[in-house]
Amino acid sequence: MLIGISLISFFIMHLAPGDITSSEAAFNPKASEESRQKLRELYNLDKPVITQYGLWLKRMVELDFGNSFASHQRPVLWETKDSKGNVIKGLIQESLPITLLINLIGIFLIFSVSIVLGTISAVKQNSIVDKSITFFIFVAFAIPGFWLALLLMYWTGVVNQWLPISGLHSLDYKSFSEIGQFFDLLKHLILPVSISMLSGLAGISLYVRNGMLDVLHQDFITTARSKGLNEKNVIFTHALKNAILPLITIVGLSIPGLIGGSVIAESIFAIPGMGKLFYDSVLMRDFPVIMGILTIGSVLTLIGTLIADIGYAWADPRIRKGLVK
Amino acid sequence: MNLFKGNLLAIIGFIIISIILFVAIFAAFLSPYDPNYIDINSILLPPSYDHLMGTDGLGRDVLSRMLYGARISLFVGFVAVGIATLIGIFLGSIAGFYGGWIDSIIMRLVDIMLSIPSFFLILAVIAFLTPSIWNIMIVIGLTSWMGVTRLVRAEFLSLRQRDFVLASIVMGSSNKKVITKHLLPNSLTPIIVSSVLGIASAVLIESGLSFLGLGVQAPTASWGNILTDGKEYIQFAWWLSLFPGLAILVTVLGYNLLGEGLRDVLDPKNK
Repeated sequence: MLIGISLISFFIMHLAPGDITSSEAAFNPKASEESRQKLRELYNLDKPVITQYGLWLKRMVELDFGNSFASHQRPVLWETKDSKGNVIKGLIQESLPITLLINLIGIFLIFSVSIVLGTISAVKQNSIVDKSITFFIFVAFAIPGFWLALLLMYWTGVVNQWLPISGLHSLDYKSFSEIGQFFDLLKHLILPVSISMLSGLAGISLYVRNGMLDVLHQDFITTARSKGLNEKNVIFTHALKNAILPLITIVGLSIPGLIGGSVIAESIFAIPGMGKLFYDSVLMRDFPVIMGILTIGSVLTLIGTLIADIGYAWADPRIRKGLVK
Repeated sequence: MNLFKGNLLAIIGFIIISIILFVAIFAAFLSPYDPNYIDINSILLPPSYDHLMGTDGLGRDVLSRMLYGARISLFVGFVAVGIATLIGIFLGSIAGFYGGWIDSIIMRLVDIMLSIPSFFLILAVIAFLTPSIWNIMIVIGLTSWMGVTRLVRAEFLSLRQRDFVLASIVMGSSNKKVITKHLLPNSLTPIIVSSVLGIASAVLIESGLSFLGLGVQAPTASWGNILTDGKEYIQFAWWLSLFPGLAILVTVLGYNLLGEGLRDVLDPKNK
């Protein structure tokens, strides 16, 4: 699986025309063919593709994703010490935690809100509340996140100046106390997090609603009702548990979408996360960074799926005790 | 229209899509100005009788650009989903019909493609090819066939066990005939539904790419790149941001409603 991912991310980069030397040459018209050849040798670009893949794979196993072509040759993944003993931080090392932070808050909020929305919607099926929630879900599905981001930026940032519209920290944040810094960060996160959670929110609310409707029509719910349990008890202890169990799998599946979506949110709000790093590297044709992020992004997805599978097995006693597969 | 009887949401979706189709086809007749005509005397005019949606930073009429942008959105949506659906049907049929090692290889490929964040993949490929409308359609198509493949495979697996298919095999029909005459026609419903929903997401992806400057390139108008201008002038010209976004929203909503409606209508269980 991992090898497949590495193959795809490697070969896509090499099927594409144009290499680093052509963009280097474009910036610097004096670059001769000779110096371009030197550059190619430096990055092993003159070797056959298979050899390049082999070399890259070998370094990847050692978690060495190489150095960025641009950005002063900073290491792609993790910090290294240069000859003078200065620590140079890796690009992904710096940006990944930011993206993870945004997405984890996002996932947490998505689940809290959508379980509530979905449950209300299912319990009050066909009522006005249900219809307006369903309508909201459809709109949230269709709304382009970057557009909403623009409008929110305009409304909260430009017209009313309630919220900061770019970056992670205020210019003078170093002068704040620790609590002040925390709230400053929180304020900067509100817009990006709400944008990145929107489509996930819609999808999962719909999922909870449909799951809940399914469960509510099953026999054991009728049994629970007919033995005189009050409605609250039926819904919260009997129905909800069963309806939200499959959600654990959905977390795993929603990770690639969330990470991919961070490109747009982070570029708009100028947040130095992995999405923005990726966008910048794409514009600069920075092979090592692009390949590194593609690989790390996929590995994150695999880890997410794995955690989801384990979580599912842990939450469902039938699987935990090996009664069903 | 009888098809959608009683399904209000589907009817709304159908109407929305018809209007957008109409607008896209007759953009040349409907637009009051040439969408690429630069008029420095009328830069960033707010909506008025002359320019119903105002003008952009180069004095171009936004309404005209919106109408031509509808073409791009529809075109990209249809072609990208067409590519994805063809690939999906092809791979899904093979995997579902033959099973065995060929099935495991195809399904592995699907798993791998699904675990790479697709927007990253699209961005990377687009940036290395020169961004153009053709490349966008091809790349979106090539990165979104996994759903259809799974769908077709699942349908085939269950259909293969059915008596009429077994009968056809026993009577000596060729594999090709079994697939095209019996299996495919009976799996059409989910394929159609997922295609319609797929167009919606292709429209969203295209507008996102164009917004990032990696999609449809200026001067060709697309809803996404009008929004890029909108971002540029957000402090002075709200109309540049509002209208294209609304158009994308309504279009995607239309396809989603239509797709969900079709699912309800075409599913015999709901009859």
